[in-house]
Amino acid sequence: MPFTDHEILETVRMFELETFDIRTTTLGINLLDCADPDLESSCEKVYAKIVHHGRNLVEMAGGIEADLGIPIINKRVATTPMALVAAASGSKDLVPFARAMDAAAAEIGIDYIGGFTAYVHKGYSNADHALVESIPEALASTARVCSSVSLATTKAGINMDAVSHFSKVVLETARLTASEGGLGCAKLVCFSNPVEDNPFIAGAHIGIGEPETVLNVGVSGPGVVRSALERLGPEADLLAVAETIKRTAFKITRMGELVGREAARRMGTVFGIVDVSLAPTPAVGDSVADILELIGVERTGAPGTTAALALLTDAVKKGGAMASSSVGGLSGAFIPVSEDAGMIRAVEEGALSLAKLEAMTTVCSVGLDMVAVPGNTSQATLAGIIADEMAIGMVNQKTTAVRAIPVPGKGPGETHDWGGLLGTAIVQDPGRFGSEVFHSRGGRIPAPLQSYRN
Amino acid sequence: MTKRFLTAEDVRRLGGPEILLEAETVVTPQAAEAAATAGVRLIGPAGAYAPPVPDRGPDAARAKASLPMLPEPSATDGVGLVVTVVGRNRPGVLAEITAALASHECDVADISQRNVGGYFHTVFTCAVPPGRDFGSIKDSLQCLGGEGDYVVRVMHESVFRFMHRV
Repeated sequence: MPFTDHEILETVRMFELETFDIRTTTLGINLLDCADPDLESSCEKVYAKIVHHGRNLVEMAGGIEADLGIPIINKRVATTPMALVAAASGSKDLVPFARAMDAAAAEIGIDYIGGFTAYVHKGYSNADHALVESIPEALASTARVCSSVSLATTKAGINMDAVSHFSKVVLETARLTASEGGLGCAKLVCFSNPVEDNPFIAGAHIGIGEPETVLNVGVSGPGVVRSALERLGPEADLLAVAETIKRTAFKITRMGELVGREAARRMGTVFGIVDVSLAPTPAVGDSVADILELIGVERTGAPGTTAALALLTDAVKKGGAMASSSVGGLSGAFIPVSEDAGMIRAVEEGALSLAKLEAMTTVCSVGLDMVAVPGNTSQATLAGIIADEMAIGMVNQKTTAVRAIPVPGKGPGETHDWGGLLGTAIVQDPGRFGSEVFHSRGGRIPAPLQSYRN
Repeated sequence: MTKRFLTAEDVRRLGGPEILLEAETVVTPQAAEAAATAGVRLIGPAGAYAPPVPDRGPDAARAKASLPMLPEPSATDGVGLVVTVVGRNRPGVLAEITAALASHECDVADISQRNVGGYFHTVFTCAVPPGRDFGSIKDSLQCLGGEGDYVVRVMHESVFRFMHRV
């Protein structure tokens, strides 16, 4: 059956006017065979393997762009958690691994590489500890490396010692990158229940159950959902809103499925997952906050926002699940504050507080993302913010994350512009009360009752 | 010897006039440099070392076999690309586009055009002859028109098929 004009123009409009794109094609590379008792040799192997597999990634994505006529914005690499690879070296300083990753990413022409990662939700191996200790220096001395740490899972509970340690690492990273407004922290995230096939930076890495190599795709399209809701108008009831979002998400995900199949075929590897996430950018109209406001809250953060976001995230997942059997990753709606013009406006106007943002993360697909906090935030307070978010993930059996940026020299209400995709942040106020005693107790919050499912 | 990687340390340890490599061994840049400095020749199964084809792992072969088996929305007969043109109306637009299509031996399967005020939008669905490079057709069409005149966008029909057909 030929296509109707309506169908053709709808698709063209998505790409031309509604900033729809394939956000990322991410090649996952297993690096476990790069372990070596000799640190230098291990780093050599890491570099060589990433370059060996990733060399034609950018060219491949460019070829698909040219042949299909649709934009693929980012090409990235995700690796095995580096702590596992580095363990054999016995080194206390794992910065050389980050440098090897950075050099390999530069060589193959990509802007970010994820996988300077450790899983410490129940405890540390020696290599895990060395990796976490190496994070500030690794992020300050490289441009492309992203780091993530698993601090909690529903099965294991929350490793509060690691939460405290991670908070110290975040503050130290901000200090080392103070001249860039703490930018190093934008490349650093912690997780509760991390997903092992996440194609999106900064949390991208591939877990130990993943294949030797795997091609994952991330699609985005807040602008498309926004336009569909604009056309629907304010009279339609919420069932109609959910149905509209679901249908739009279906169409978006189908593009991910098409590109994922094609990219895997051209790379000669496994098509892993499509991550259908509404990921905003600072571009006008490319905003998740705008969608929430079209659903009907006056400003993001107003009463009703969490419910509207729950509807949005769920409808996106349902539309995605119908469109592809390979939906995975984080899939849902991201709410990175500084990267979303609508979220920034909401903070500016006093509609969106840190507390409301935390409530929203109970139903969004990730967590506290790109949240600026005062540069003088104490380790205990930052640990408290992170622990709260980890608890939400642990209890609700969902992935949650924290990517918080203590902006050096800035206090609540002040702004900092990182430029580019990272956008502008307004420093949030964590409040004047602390949680020193809670923080100093240390230890582990045991796994919740809902983890006992065997 | 069977090794996935040959490192500079391996070169220093093995030494000798030459090192024999397995077909799948990847030589790190540092190893290649160390070998060149020490005058050690690196020999693969087919002569001097050349980087092997990347081994994507045991799942890759299965994935390659299963990809064509995934159900796809069926292709619309004879359609290869969809061209949309939007802009200010003037005589000769259609002629310019169809001339470019003809120069690539594209067969126009369907045209529709609407005019609103002084503006128009036109949609062509075309069949591309086998063996033709989609990218070059796209480039030659998309450079037509210009600012204040009209804009051409060329997309592969599979984009529409995947989005609108199940």
